[in-house]
Amino acid sequence: MGMNNKEDLDAMIAKTPARIGVGRSGTRPKTDSWLKFRFDHAAAVDAVYGEVSDILLKRLDLFKVKTKADDKEVYLRRPDYGRKLSDEAKRVIDAKCIKAPTVQIIISDGLSAKAIEENVEDVYLSFKQSLAVAGLDTGTPFYIEKGRVAVMDDIGEILGPEVIVLLIGERPGLVSAESLSAYICYKPRLGTIEAERMVISNIHKGGIPPVEAGAHLGTVIQKILKYQASGMSLVKKEHEEEKREKLG
Amino acid sequence: MNEQVERIISAGIDIGTSTTKLVISELSLRNVAGGGQVPKIEITDKEILYRSPIFRTPLVSETVIDIPAVQRMVESEYQKAGITIENIQTGAVIITGETATKQNAEEMVYRLSKAAGEFLVAAAGPDLEGIIAAKGSGAYQHSIKTRKTVANIDIGGGTANIAVYHSGMLCGTCTLHIGGRLVEWEGAKAKVAPSIGKWLKSIGRSPLNGEGAIIANEMAKVLSRFLAGSFTKEDELLLVGKEPSWTERIDVLMFSGGVSDCIYHEEREDESFRDIGMMLAASIKESEELAAWEWEQPVETVRATVLGAGAHTTEISGATIEVNDSHLPVRNIPVYRVDFHGGLDDVTAKMTQAVQEAITIYDALQEGLNFAFYLTNLPYQSFRDIHRLAVAFTEALKKKPNRQQPLIIVMDSDYGKALGQTILANQPDLPVICIDQTEVEHGDYLDIGRLLRTGVVPVVVKTLTFHS
Repeated sequence: MGMNNKEDLDAMIAKTPARIGVGRSGTRPKTDSWLKFRFDHAAAVDAVYGEVSDILLKRLDLFKVKTKADDKEVYLRRPDYGRKLSDEAKRVIDAKCIKAPTVQIIISDGLSAKAIEENVEDVYLSFKQSLAVAGLDTGTPFYIEKGRVAVMDDIGEILGPEVIVLLIGERPGLVSAESLSAYICYKPRLGTIEAERMVISNIHKGGIPPVEAGAHLGTVIQKILKYQASGMSLVKKEHEEEKREKLG
Repeated sequence: MNEQVERIISAGIDIGTSTTKLVISELSLRNVAGGGQVPKIEITDKEILYRSPIFRTPLVSETVIDIPAVQRMVESEYQKAGITIENIQTGAVIITGETATKQNAEEMVYRLSKAAGEFLVAAAGPDLEGIIAAKGSGAYQHSIKTRKTVANIDIGGGTANIAVYHSGMLCGTCTLHIGGRLVEWEGAKAKVAPSIGKWLKSIGRSPLNGEGAIIANEMAKVLSRFLAGSFTKEDELLLVGKEPSWTERIDVLMFSGGVSDCIYHEEREDESFRDIGMMLAASIKESEELAAWEWEQPVETVRATVLGAGAHTTEISGATIEVNDSHLPVRNIPVYRVDFHGGLDDVTAKMTQAVQEAITIYDALQEGLNFAFYLTNLPYQSFRDIHRLAVAFTEALKKKPNRQQPLIIVMDSDYGKALGQTILANQPDLPVICIDQTEVEHGDYLDIGRLLRTGVVPVVVKTLTFHS
């Protein structure tokens, strides 16, 4: 396609945040595009190495615990450490939290502290409201520093909730370094397989609006509680019910 | 979460000046979002299950539609198609051309929606007719595919309805008194529709002198002048309502409607239609002026409008919405547009004013007629913002005379569930219908169907205004 049809190009550019139609100067990108690329890359690195501020944790009334990864470099090299709570964390959680709630909400920086800083508050407040509207009780929420998704298994063991929702920063990309995911699992325990977990990803200002994601999460939780299953087990149970309905 | 396909049945019924037809189609809805994404439900396939024959519109007299006869026709066609009223989940009845002005049209629609299905919306009016025909003929799709400016000219018995699209955007419409049954012959006697009397006089022609072909030629010339935007004062005598509302230069012509069948297909000797239709088709086909444009074959000719009504009027809302299903379906809800211009300043004052103005416009006599709010250009919404907006709504609604009726909110952005839920959190007893990712315009009329299994609602927007 030639550059003579600007309307076509504009229509394509409007459809994607990818860097298309940015032009070039000789064999190199234009200065603007190059600077933008460097900027986005730097933002991604900052997101990984950043910290979630105590101010935010205080505002959301969250206490902080740590995983076995006590240093960022260790955290990056050893994903298994990020999946385990430190011994102290286990003690604190056991002492401070309501046991066996219907829904346990936890928050972790994961690979983007920026995602938490920018987007977690809106998801969290909207989600709590949707649970309240649905009449579902929640446990004591807290923040886990340097966590990975499967850290929820340790928490499942200690607190025994019906459902855990982990709001965690996603691996940053060049389109957004602030994207958040909600990982959800019905009764996670040590040995829970990954197929039992569900995720709603791409939650950020340029993706699924955080408040809308929070409101939607409430609906997902209701479904999980109805079928007493999450992930592939939930899909299977839904299919079975549909079949039964069809057979009448 | 739900990967499976949901299929809904849609009916289209077109009651025109001379003919009536019905189409049953099946729309497939599918979650097109990837795994791990909030669902996004779209219509991914449209299949026509049944096309009725073309019936002569049953009339009791010149101006009165024979409602029981139409009802019987619909019932028997449903039976032939193998469906029942309960199967119909969406669709439209469109009363077109002169029939729309016939005195019992309104009663007709009311009675038909009982006999034909719960969520069958009624649509009438020449602009809408042109738009629906352009969708059924494929002109709308062609404009998207080629990014060209395509004019669809739907010529029926009484009128030619023109709708112009560019890249899927409506540029404008225009309706002319050009049709296949405006002149009818019975032996040597000719009957001229009153709508073209003045024009015939002005060009000094009469169908009695064997001038039928000349009249048809003149009609084709008038049509080409309207398409080119070079119409004369005399031509305006054939104008129904307003002048053409598009400003773009037209690239492609597509013809649909009964007369188009004779343009694209071999001539057929049909005893029941002794009128100017064939001549008009021939004049259009041979017109030098019209040959200046590129021509494109439609996918449907005579059934374009009914297909448009049945398969192309339904849209699907966003998948994360908050609706009180017991208050659905709702029909013919006028839209009041609230433009936030990217800010939430003075939102309480703004909503209060919006509610008052909407009542003044749509419920002037305070009878409790409902309307919908269309929220557009909303800035990014934090939870605090959504809360402010919800409070502003509930405060402003205290002015509404009938507070039992549902609060209907539509928005183009993706905050339907969050806003609906926040309003419910503030006022649990208020019936809320809050849908998103749906575009409407001020003054449009809206129909919203019942909640589907995939968590979306079918929406039919009856557009009366244009994007320019």
